[in-house]
Amino acid sequence: MPLRPEITGWFASKGWAPRKHQLSVLEATEAGASALLIAPTGAGKTLAGFLPTLNDLIENPREGLHTLYLSPLKALAVDVHRNLTAPIEEMGLPIKVEARTGDTPSHRRQRQRTSPPHILLTTPEQLALLLSHSDADRMFRGLKRVVLDELHAMVTHKRGELMSLGLARLGTLAPGLRITALSATVARPDLLRDWIASPVPDAEARLLIGEGGARPHIEILRSEERIPWAGHSTLYAIPELYEVIKAHRTTLLFVNTRSQAEMLFQELWAANDELLPIAMHHGSLAVEQRRKVEAAMAEGRLRAVVCTSTLDLGIDWGDVDLVVQVGAPKGASRMLQRIGRANHRLDEPSKALFVPSNRFEVLECEAALEAVERNAQDSEDPVSGGLDVLAQHVLGTACAMPIAPVALYEEIGRAWPYRELSWETFERVVDFVATGGYALRAYERYAKLRKMEDGRFRIAHPGIAQQYRLNIGTIVEEPMVKVRLVRGRGFTRGATTGPIGRGGRVLGEMEEYFFTTLAKGDTFLFGSEIVAFEGMFENEAYVSRSQGKDPKIPSYMGGKFPLSTFLADGVRKLLAHPDEWHLLPDQVSDWLRLQQEASVLPAPESLLVETFPRGAQNYLVCYPFEGRLAHQTLGMLLTRRLERARARPLGFVASDYALAVWGLGDFNALIRTGRLSLDDLFDEDMLGDDLEAWLDESQLMRRTFRNCAIIAGLIERRHPGQKEKTGRQITVSSDIIYDVLYQHEPDHILIQATRRDAARGLLDIERLGHMLARIRRHIVHKPLDRISPLAVPVMLDIGKVPVMGEARESTMAEAAEELIAEAMGIGAEQRKRAN
Amino acid sequence: MTSAWAMRTAQIDDEGTPVLLTFAGHVFEPLPSGALWWAAEQALLVADLHLEKLSSYARRGSLLPPYDTGLTLRRLEVDIERTGAAEVIALGDSFHRDEGTTTLLDADRLQLASLMGRARWTWISGNHDPAPHALGGACVPGLERAGLTLTHEPKRVDALPSPLRGRAGGGGPSRATAPPPPSIPPLKGEGGGGLIAGHLHPAAHIAMNGRSVRRPCFVHDGRVMVLPAYGAATGTLNILSPAFVGLLHWPTLEVAMIGRGRVYPVSPKRLVRGYDAW
Repeated sequence: MPLRPEITGWFASKGWAPRKHQLSVLEATEAGASALLIAPTGAGKTLAGFLPTLNDLIENPREGLHTLYLSPLKALAVDVHRNLTAPIEEMGLPIKVEARTGDTPSHRRQRQRTSPPHILLTTPEQLALLLSHSDADRMFRGLKRVVLDELHAMVTHKRGELMSLGLARLGTLAPGLRITALSATVARPDLLRDWIASPVPDAEARLLIGEGGARPHIEILRSEERIPWAGHSTLYAIPELYEVIKAHRTTLLFVNTRSQAEMLFQELWAANDELLPIAMHHGSLAVEQRRKVEAAMAEGRLRAVVCTSTLDLGIDWGDVDLVVQVGAPKGASRMLQRIGRANHRLDEPSKALFVPSNRFEVLECEAALEAVERNAQDSEDPVSGGLDVLAQHVLGTACAMPIAPVALYEEIGRAWPYRELSWETFERVVDFVATGGYALRAYERYAKLRKMEDGRFRIAHPGIAQQYRLNIGTIVEEPMVKVRLVRGRGFTRGATTGPIGRGGRVLGEMEEYFFTTLAKGDTFLFGSEIVAFEGMFENEAYVSRSQGKDPKIPSYMGGKFPLSTFLADGVRKLLAHPDEWHLLPDQVSDWLRLQQEASVLPAPESLLVETFPRGAQNYLVCYPFEGRLAHQTLGMLLTRRLERARARPLGFVASDYALAVWGLGDFNALIRTGRLSLDDLFDEDMLGDDLEAWLDESQLMRRTFRNCAIIAGLIERRHPGQKEKTGRQITVSSDIIYDVLYQHEPDHILIQATRRDAARGLLDIERLGHMLARIRRHIVHKPLDRISPLAVPVMLDIGKVPVMGEARESTMAEAAEELIAEAMGIGAEQRKRAN
Repeated sequence: MTSAWAMRTAQIDDEGTPVLLTFAGHVFEPLPSGALWWAAEQALLVADLHLEKLSSYARRGSLLPPYDTGLTLRRLEVDIERTGAAEVIALGDSFHRDEGTTTLLDADRLQLASLMGRARWTWISGNHDPAPHALGGACVPGLERAGLTLTHEPKRVDALPSPLRGRAGGGGPSRATAPPPPSIPPLKGEGGGGLIAGHLHPAAHIAMNGRSVRRPCFVHDGRVMVLPAYGAATGTLNILSPAFVGLLHWPTLEVAMIGRGRVYPVSPKRLVRGYDAW
């Protein structure tokens, strides 16, 4: 069916013509197929998604919900509403379009259920909410289309898992449903197509690839300055960056962490002689402040914005003419998407600049540049489904109507992430929802789901649905505390306890977790100033201005995203091919040549391990290039094994590229005499008992469990008639719950869910496992008498990033020995000699 | 700093070496489980079991793992086995709420009955479980034993009877003054009027060489001793937090932290205010 004249006329009135990919989406839809459209930003994707709806509604006018649009950001839903309303009005069509977010007034949300618009623009969480009402069937029965925006960003996240389950539900409620998904370029488009085909198995799903835009124009900053060995501040490049900002209309400067954003922002302002309007945007700024920055940006009033991944997605900023990546690019696809934030016009090339903050990052930038030029993709594949999300969905479904287990199981199997779910696991999840799923059946009388005579399950009472709706969604905010500046009493030795002066200005928010590690008087960088921790009062942290110059506690915790496997390969190849070093700045290639002379360079398929003494300690440095998270896990496990080998390890520090472990034992001698075997040390069996033993105590598992328990509904975020719990209350009790459950029922489905998340997330065990398999019997050991050039960066991180290690037990032992020595009248000097 | 912590050897590395402490003239062994073993009385002292804590949330829809009671009882069984205790004294908040005595799962009820069959049992009432119950043993508001007061909520013992104070230099340390020589033998036999309690769930947070650790602990000042919470589902409170202010006499403070399988006496000068000590 061709485009209706109302639409062609509108295009003509604008002097435009529909693009090819816009027409192919229409064609697919008219042929009764679902469609995945992959196209770069600026290609008119959104209109492509809605043309079939407009065409159909002109052809076949009707009432009721016709198209549901789901976006990861509510701001995007609101923006699309604006962009869609204009053409509809200009075409004079009687089509109702409404947005629905958490901010929509409740009377309108109520009305949207009874009398929905033709097109509803909303988020996955709102869909889950709508599906939990008993009128969901009536509302969605006639639904013809679902449009999924930014699908690439959803499928790697639990929100995508929840959305997939909602789509499977819609597939049952609305038999004529077709799905259209819009995505940026990804590594495996076929997987994304399967993902959208799954909920409507009868329909074909077409993969439509839009024309690529002009190739981006990217450079790496060739600094006149000395590029630092280590660190993430990029201070050396500030004057050059300022000149770059001056030379462009609007510059977006992406960094990887909030603390980098703050540092960069502060330094740019220090250099801002011309008082250019430069702003900052990151996740822990107050929402109003972020909205203000976005508005100023949209109005073209800003010359530069320093931002984190909070601006990776979102509404288009037409005026951005340069994207700068400050610090490690981490991944090629990520870079392509960020670069796409500049110049949302297809025919003009986007312009980007990479600014490495240290020497390893020069290599990473080089690898990323090459990847982007080849248009290589390393985006993550869609993830399989978590049991915590499934538990939430099962309860939500039961809130709408009694559930028949077999039918629900089959429906859930049509959600791509759950296509391999076994019946046994499904039963355990239902049992978890009903009674907690404990082997010891303690809660039959408190069951949330009750079995009816016909075998279906219904919720025990309406209060359960009410409670469910308050706790919907998979985004678990890290508990934050407000940071308030107070007049310090100064951290004086022997200061007595007493009330701290209250009522200072709020500087912002910070993860509560950070403060659990602090002692009074510890200094850290916050909001671009150095502050001293004074104390906690309820859920506020009090800090005072510090006279100190260097913060004592590092708040750089690394970004959320580890170096991609793909870029890591690129870096390894670059290192191994001296003939390509001419691409690098002289100071970097000189550094690599020095390494060649002093030690060896890591080869692509082996693992280089260097050992050397330094001061009173011995160091083991290896270069897996597997990202900080996998290295941290490796460090934890290696120190355990070194402990057993009596090498007396003391701690370790991990970067995206390398891992350094230090200890008292003479690593060189231990290896030379065969008392320590590197092949054994790095054997894959560390992922067995050693991993288990460590998980027993790992704080990371507890943090991961908390998220799973909240999503699965074991721990409530909110309770009817009760204000939100403070994070601290949840944290304390979730640790206890984890300990009790883990000790008694380690194969409980929530522990299973926690393990899955930990393996992929904070611990990155999967990647570590692949690395260990790859380097088995391929370890190159280089004993040295001193530090190697390549080891310098990670060694410089010691003292700047948190030192890891299981110091807990030994700290107490040291304190106890000290006490005994005191009691025995032995001074510190004598004790040292005695040791 | 005084040190009434007597180690049989100075070797901390040696697993299984008991730590002994002298308090108000009596010798006790703090166990890594959180129990206090009073060998002279053949009595095991435990505080804040909080049995049936997690199941108590089920009423309002939180179906938390109902395993804390079982874990706590198993821990008790190991302690009774290891010490051969003839008596167990629970220092209050043994149940998270009074109704806890009725919600015990069958297996836990049997386990508790079996433990109570092996030792004489005294339940001191706490703020969480004020009502007497019929599980067996004696339900009492408090207890005097060998000159010591055993109760749930600690309170400051101001006026110390003279024996303790009067023997400075001779038998016992005058704790407010300079450290005594370490070879002073522990006080024996005399009741110093001390008080042993629970209720506060003490934890010590120490920092040393740039690292820090926070663990439940035993803490006393020679007159008042507060036991760590024994229950598997209990939280902790830093001993530098306001709840402890005015209760303990800082110059004579002694702290033993619970580690993995052992107890570590630590110097109070290493204590830091962590996150919750305000």
